[in-house]
Amino acid sequence: MRFTRRKVKLTLRKPRRARSGPAIAAIAAIVAPAAIAAPAAPVTAQAAPVALVGARIHTAAGPAIEAGTIVFQDGVITALGADISPPGDADVVDLSGMVIMPGMLDNHSHIGADSRDLNEFPTRFGPQHRIRDVLSPDDDFWKGAVKGGVTTVVTGPGSGEVSSGQAIVIKTWGGSIDDRIVKERGGLKIAMGRKRPDQSPTTSMAVTALLRAKFIEAQEYQAKRDAWEEGGREGPAPPRDLGMEALVRVLNGEDRIRSHVHSAHDILSIIRLSQEFDFHLTIHHSTEAYKVADDIAAAGIDVVGLPLFTRVALSDEVMATGTVMNEKGVRFAFHTDDPVVGSKWQRGNAGLGIRYGMTEQDALEAVTINPAAIAGVEARVGSLEPGKDADIVVLSGTWYEVSSLVTRVYVDGQLAYDREGEGP
Amino acid sequence: MIGAARGAVLGAVAICVAGAAVQAQTVALTGGLVLPISSGPIEGGTVVMVDGRIAAVGADVAIPAGAEVVDVTGRVVLPGIIDAMSYYGVAGEDMNEVPNPLTPELRIIEAFAPFGTFGSGDAGEIRVRELLQGGVTAMYVGPGDATVLGGQGAVVKTAGARFGDLIVREPAAIDITLGGRPASTYRDMSRSPSTRMAVVSQLRELLVRAREWVESGAGPQGGDAGDEGEAGAGGENAGPRNLGMEAMARLLRGEVPARVQANATRDIRVAIELAEEFGFELVIDGGAGAHQMRDELADRGIPVVLGPLSHPYISGEEIPDPGDYGGVDERNAVWLNEAGVHISFASFSRSFGTFGAGVAGQWLLIDASIALGHGMNRADVLRALTLSPAEVLGVSDRLGSLEVGKDADVVVFDGDPLSIRTWASRVYVGGRLVHERQD
Repeated sequence: MRFTRRKVKLTLRKPRRARSGPAIAAIAAIVAPAAIAAPAAPVTAQAAPVALVGARIHTAAGPAIEAGTIVFQDGVITALGADISPPGDADVVDLSGMVIMPGMLDNHSHIGADSRDLNEFPTRFGPQHRIRDVLSPDDDFWKGAVKGGVTTVVTGPGSGEVSSGQAIVIKTWGGSIDDRIVKERGGLKIAMGRKRPDQSPTTSMAVTALLRAKFIEAQEYQAKRDAWEEGGREGPAPPRDLGMEALVRVLNGEDRIRSHVHSAHDILSIIRLSQEFDFHLTIHHSTEAYKVADDIAAAGIDVVGLPLFTRVALSDEVMATGTVMNEKGVRFAFHTDDPVVGSKWQRGNAGLGIRYGMTEQDALEAVTINPAAIAGVEARVGSLEPGKDADIVVLSGTWYEVSSLVTRVYVDGQLAYDREGEGP
Repeated sequence: MIGAARGAVLGAVAICVAGAAVQAQTVALTGGLVLPISSGPIEGGTVVMVDGRIAAVGADVAIPAGAEVVDVTGRVVLPGIIDAMSYYGVAGEDMNEVPNPLTPELRIIEAFAPFGTFGSGDAGEIRVRELLQGGVTAMYVGPGDATVLGGQGAVVKTAGARFGDLIVREPAAIDITLGGRPASTYRDMSRSPSTRMAVVSQLRELLVRAREWVESGAGPQGGDAGDEGEAGAGGENAGPRNLGMEAMARLLRGEVPARVQANATRDIRVAIELAEEFGFELVIDGGAGAHQMRDELADRGIPVVLGPLSHPYISGEEIPDPGDYGGVDERNAVWLNEAGVHISFASFSRSFGTFGAGVAGQWLLIDASIALGHGMNRADVLRALTLSPAEVLGVSDRLGSLEVGKDADVVVFDGDPLSIRTWASRVYVGGRLVHERQD
């Protein structure tokens, strides 16, 4: 039940696969400015390129490369392959016997904020709240994420309210919070399902009804603003409402809904709302998604799902959510809901996915390129390919075994973590 | 107790178990890598089970005539995994008798319901499939940790023909919780004990009363714990029965240990002081910060039952007092083991809202593999999942290793038992095949 209260996040986004070209273009247009706007990493510009040689490289973009080489400079991967010769001026690091994977993403996290700041319970509907306003670069949980190989997260407010506010996509290491932001519009969180009994709405019905009313209100709000604009801005401007503006961004496709949702009937309700109001939706936790997998596939919704490593005792059916979603052609990503489970166990989620039937490649994608794509930042992160950010994880052994240790993590080409010298 | 009723059930079982021909009384597992735990690995070893017990283990073992021979070449054979602390089968509402902080008279066995989800599931044979598929054949189940002294726990198996067959030892310990959790329970209710001080003081008060009760000669003297039939055989001053005091007397007489959940060093220290003052046997549960006191714990021979190593980032919401977890580090097990502390792994699995029945024990090996990664040797990791918990739970005469005469609780793993991919492919409890996984 605490689980319910704390984890709700929604990612709203235009059902991208079900959508036509222009909508995708609109999304791309949003991604691009954000990517540019985000100060391109704390560029303590590398004088020389770095070449990691000898490791088995899982790129997430293709088959594994045995004894491959990966070269990066100024925070960006410049070359990668089995037969790459490091540039003459490169700083060459021999990683023979080691394993490399992309810096992982976690599409559903709460790190960076004090947990007491995640839920503004008295405000049952607070789309105006922004996680960005409470993020601290000193939060210890960032370090845990980096050590575990998670280099980018979508972090956002909690799930105690019907809408708890806006998430952002951010790297787990680097300069200031502002420097680390990959994408400002990380999604508006909605939490489906029952709420605390002290204040309406408390039932699932009432929560869904409130959402419907709010989206209608947002349409009317925007219509008023449009009328004022179209009327030559005559008279005083209609008063601004920051919460309504957040909803309007969702209706315009500038942002998406991230929906915390557990039960099958709530999954169907939020899908219904996304179709009524034509917004981009992703569902999170998605406990009973396996029961309505066909509906999810038909709606073109991405799923951020369970398990939460070994932390929550779940049925085999829920543990196999990734397997079921992949079979249905639904894009699937694991999450940790940090601090419910430490970000560093995102790798363990993938291992459990394999245990419960996913292929190694599908499980790898579910902690790398899929969460990146679901967050709309796959152009920069989520796989090891030339032109992408040099977010790289080095491991002592098989990438999905929790008995393998993360030995090095590069973020934007900088060595963000090195296990050597860490003590016993 | 076994007799006819069990035979009848067995008949039915033979039909249910896919592929298992007759539920043979004699089974020989041959060709596997046998890890008896109590002795070194045996390549291509044989384990013979006869009438529910282990009859032979070795490389050159004669297979009795008429035995069902199962070739497990390429697989790994281990004694059943023992989860040294779980709340499996105990409904959330049944874990803690909150109105009373100290309830030694309560017995978890009376709330333990290993029958699957309420209103569903099959009748008959009890099998906790989720735990069996992780190789877990026994566990300690205790009262919750929201009050100070929750009551008496039990050691149970995860499969059996009837409920009574599951019970290995009951009561097996007194469950106590120190630290911020019980204090927060009562602080939230604006009543005592709402501080650590009051938690300890009320516990000490109970121990003092119990000692007086024992010294007064009241109540039954010794005898089988919980054996109501012995009630008349009281001491010379035997007065009215007092079930709580009788439970406490078993603790003070050394018949059962105290399982004290303590994570911060200050709480572990208090547990040690109380154990010294009242002379009871102590097991530290949780022990998140135990590595900070590892030399003292080793010197005193106090065992630690570790909570999940993946736990360090547990949410503040789940932990009423984050101060309990100051020293948390996933290398805890490695450091304790190196220092010579007796450690066991445990899931502390509980039902989580409506999302599951506390079956996280099935992933105990996976959690333990974290310690392997940090340098704990494989043999020590596996011991901390089998023989060590059997010792802490006081059942090592029956469970925890593949030795002649012990219960035939035997697991065949389809690969490295410490890989996240590996499942238990055949599980025997009491010599009976109770779980089988097809490749």
